[in-house]
Amino acid sequence: MSEDFESELRAALRPVEPSAEFSRKLLANVTAGEAAPRKPRKLGPGAGRPLVWWFTASLAACLIMAVGIQQHQQQQRLRQTGLEARREVEQALRLTSQKLNLAFEAIKSQSTATDEKSGV
Amino acid sequence: MRKFALTMFIALQVPVLAWASPNPKLLIPEFAGLAQKATDSVTITLDPALLSMASRFLDASDPQDAATQEVIKGLRGIYVRSYTFDKDAAYSQADIDAVRAQLSAPGWNRLVQTHSRKTRADVDIYIMVDNNQAVGLALIASEPRQFTIVNIVGAIDLDKLHKLEGQFGVPKLDLDAAKSAPKQQDNSILKK
Repeated sequence: MSEDFESELRAALRPVEPSAEFSRKLLANVTAGEAAPRKPRKLGPGAGRPLVWWFTASLAACLIMAVGIQQHQQQQRLRQTGLEARREVEQALRLTSQKLNLAFEAIKSQSTATDEKSGV
Repeated sequence: MRKFALTMFIALQVPVLAWASPNPKLLIPEFAGLAQKATDSVTITLDPALLSMASRFLDASDPQDAATQEVIKGLRGIYVRSYTFDKDAAYSQADIDAVRAQLSAPGWNRLVQTHSRKTRADVDIYIMVDNNQAVGLALIASEPRQFTIVNIVGAIDLDKLHKLEGQFGVPKLDLDAAKSAPKQQDNSILKK
């Protein structure tokens, strides 16, 4: 059964010489294709200058990136300044309170001494 | 012509009025010599722009930050100079006198003057009151090895400063007495 199938397949796929008509038509087509001038490809405006387009696009991308980086850096600087200002405010208030406490302690000890003297 | 004369008159009055209104901002010297001698120095200059920026970086949900925000809300400047030295008497009284002289100008009232024999610290607190509102505070603290000047400019709400008590360690101040404090009144404002 399988041998029959194989032989049938081999017979079907055997190399066959093309007919003279087929060869003639093929050769005629090939000759005609070589002789005809190539039509220019239809492309969009400026397609003839792809380098310019690439250059412009790269420039725009670089510009956008530069602006982005600059904005980011500015934000960082502002944040840095803000945090530094906050730290300074806290330090200033801490120092002020320390010195107010010095005065407070001096008054407290003075009043305690006065109370002790008067026997209160 | 009459309108022009009136405008000119008002324009001329502006600088006169500006000069006449008390200025709570002190001219604090550079203290370059002291800064060189000091082992530790603190120079803080916060103008309105920096104060507003600092306020934006304080977390309103945090109680301490919220209290700080409240205190600095009406302020127009905080200026601090503090120098710490590694030996006694590294600075002279003349260094402080330039600042102290400004505090004898009209508008400034001495709120407290203290001297501690124990710590040998002198603290002078001055306040400038305008329309029953504290608009400036100056503090000069001279200790054997430290010298500090604080100048706070703007509408200082002492109630709010009071709220910082326990957070920055601000002691209780008698606010009513502070607002109506006559000049040269010593040792009577801080609550016992």
